[in-house]
Amino acid sequence: MGYAGFVYANLLRNPLRSALTGCAVALAVLLVCLLLTMPAGLDALLTRVASDTRVGVINKSGLVFWMPYSLMRKIRALDDVADAVGMVWFGGAFEEQGKVTFPSFAVEVEHIPGTYPDYAVAPEALAAFARYRDGAIVGRQTMRKYRWKVGDRVTLRSNIWNVNLDLRIVGEIPRDGSPIVWINRDYLDEAIKAQGQAGLGIVMIVWVRVASPDRVNSVMLRVDELTRNTDYETTSQTEKTFFSNFLGSLQGFLQILLMVTALVSLCIVFIAANTASMAVRERSGEIGVLRAIGFRRRMIFALLLGETVVLSWAAGSVGVGLAWLATKSLAQMGGSIAALGPLGGFIVTPRVIFQGLLLSLAIGVFAGFAPAYGAARRPVADTLREVF
Amino acid sequence: MSVGSPAAASPLILLHRVSRLYRRGIDEIHALEACSLRVERGRFVAFMGPSGSGKSTLLNLVSGIDRPTSGEVWVAGQELNRLTEDELARWRARHVGLIFQFFNLVPVLSARDNVALPLLLTHFGRSERQRRAEIALRVVGLEDRHQHLQRILSGGEQQRVAIARALVSDPDLIVADEPTGDLDARNAEGVLSLLRKLSAEFGKTIVMVTHDPRALRFVDEVFHLDKGVLLEGEEAERAGEAMRVAAGGGLLGEGALPTQAPGWAKTPRG
Repeated sequence: MGYAGFVYANLLRNPLRSALTGCAVALAVLLVCLLLTMPAGLDALLTRVASDTRVGVINKSGLVFWMPYSLMRKIRALDDVADAVGMVWFGGAFEEQGKVTFPSFAVEVEHIPGTYPDYAVAPEALAAFARYRDGAIVGRQTMRKYRWKVGDRVTLRSNIWNVNLDLRIVGEIPRDGSPIVWINRDYLDEAIKAQGQAGLGIVMIVWVRVASPDRVNSVMLRVDELTRNTDYETTSQTEKTFFSNFLGSLQGFLQILLMVTALVSLCIVFIAANTASMAVRERSGEIGVLRAIGFRRRMIFALLLGETVVLSWAAGSVGVGLAWLATKSLAQMGGSIAALGPLGGFIVTPRVIFQGLLLSLAIGVFAGFAPAYGAARRPVADTLREVF
Repeated sequence: MSVGSPAAASPLILLHRVSRLYRRGIDEIHALEACSLRVERGRFVAFMGPSGSGKSTLLNLVSGIDRPTSGEVWVAGQELNRLTEDELARWRARHVGLIFQFFNLVPVLSARDNVALPLLLTHFGRSERQRRAEIALRVVGLEDRHQHLQRILSGGEQQRVAIARALVSDPDLIVADEPTGDLDARNAEGVLSLLRKLSAEFGKTIVMVTHDPRALRFVDEVFHLDKGVLLEGEEAERAGEAMRVAAGGGLLGEGALPTQAPGWAKTPRG
C-alpha cells in the first residue's frame, strides 16, 4: 500500500457517505456542464440558421412597426442585392391548438427561391407554392410536431388580421429545427380585402440576400440610407445579429441560470466541506497517531486534501461524462429538445469538459482545504491529549 | 537522581532539569518540574505514578511529541529542543516507535498495511515495505494474521499489531503509553512479555508509562512521579515498595511477583 492506496482505503471507510457526497458533486457538475453548453448551443443554432449573406431590415422603431410595401422595389433595385423578400407577420394559430405555437409569415412567393437558396426547399415544392394561392411551406419541426405531411389541408386563424385561412401544405423546409410557416402574401391580401379593408400594402421584415459577403455592410448602409428622414426609417442587421438580438432575452435568462448553478455549486462545496470536516473529526485520533509516528504536517494536509480532491474529481468526471452522454443521446434524437426552444441544443465541447473537470477539482480543493489545514496544523500533543 | 553534562554522557535518553508548564486561560499547570533522568541503551524502564503525576507528559517529551518549557531533552544524541516541527516529525519517524493504550490502528487497513504505515516515510519500495511488515508481524507472533482487519483481531492481537508497527522501522526507542491499560490479565501479560523480549533479545530501549503493578516483573527500572516531580531517594523507595506490595499481595495475589529475575532478563532491575 502506498499513499494512493491509503487515500483510496480512507475513501472506502464510509462507502455510503462517500457515494452520497460523490453523487452531489456529480449532479452539480452535470448541471453546470449542461448549462455551459447552452451558449455554445445557441451560437451553433444561430450559425446553422443564419446566412452570412442575408440581411434583415426592420423599422427602426421595432419589429411591430411596419414599412411601406413600395420599399421592396427600391431595395431590389440596389446594386449587390441578389434578391429580397418582404414578410408580414401572420400570427397564425393552428385551429386545433388555439394559440400561436410557430412563427408564420405571409411572403412574396416568387422571391423565396432567390432569397433562401440555402434552405434547399425542393423545386417542386416551390413550384407548387407559386401555383397554388393557398399553398404553404412548413418547417420540418412544425411538420413533425403536428404530424403534417405534404398535401394536408390545415386552417390557421390569424391573431393579427382577423382572418382564417385554409391552407394546402405544398412543401417542407428541410431543416430539423425550423418551425417557420410561409404562406402566400397575395392570398392573405385577398382575404383582408374580402373583409372590405384596404389590403396589405406594408411589410414588417425584409430579408435581403446580398450577392457577396464582402458587400453586406455596404448594402446595409444603402438600405438604411433609402429610408433616412422618412416616417419609416429602417435598421439593417445581418441575419445572425438579427436572431441574436431577437434571442437577447434568452441570453439574460441564461445568465440567471448560470448564476443559480454557481450558487448550487457553492452549496455543494459547503456540503462536501461539512462531510470532510466530519470525516476528519471522527479520525482525529488516527491523525494524531500518524503525526506522532512521523507524518509531517504537509503530508497529513496532502492526504486529507487528496481524499476530497480524488472523490470530487472522480464524481465530477462522472458528471462530465453524463453531460457528454446526454449530448450524444440528444444528437441521436434530433439534436435539440424542442420544449426548451433555442436553448434545447446542448453541445458539450472540449472547453465545457475542461470547465467541468476544473469545477470538480475546485470543489474538492475548496471543500477539503479548511478541514485538512485545521487537522494538519494542530499540535500533535494536543490531539493525543484530547483523544486519549 | 543526578546526571552529568549532556556532552559527557552517552545514554539513549538524557533529561536535564526539564519542566513543562501548560497554560489554560489564566491558570498555569505545572505538569513537570525540573526533572532530570538518564536511561541507558537497551533498558526497559517504566514511569509510574498516580493520575496527573506527569507520566504521559514525560513520555511525550522523551518521544519528541511535545516540547519542554525549560530544560534539555537529549535522545539518541540529539537535543530535541533544537529541532523544528518538521525536523521533529522526521526524527520521530526515524528514532521512535510508539505504542498507545487503545492500539489506534487504522481500521480500513489490514494488519500488514497498519504495520507498514511508518515505512511510507522511508525510501523503501512497496515490496520491501511489505516484507519488513511481515517480519515485524512474525516477531510479535502474528505471521498468519497479516491480511486481517482490525475488527476481526482480539484486543491483545491489536496491541501486538501496534507493537509490530512501533518496531517495523527499527527505532532506537520504543515508547509505550499504558500498553496494557485496555487488556485483560492474560493479554496484558503477553504484551509485557513481548516488550521484555524486544528489550532483551533485540536490544531495544523501551520506555513505558503504566499503572499496572504487573509491569514490575518485566522492567529493568522504574521511575516514580508524583505531582510533576520525579521522586528520588526515600520517596522513590516508598513509592516502589507500595507498588510491590500491590503487585505481590493485594492486586495479583500471593506469589505473583517473582523472587528473582527471569532468565531472559539480561540486566538486573533497578
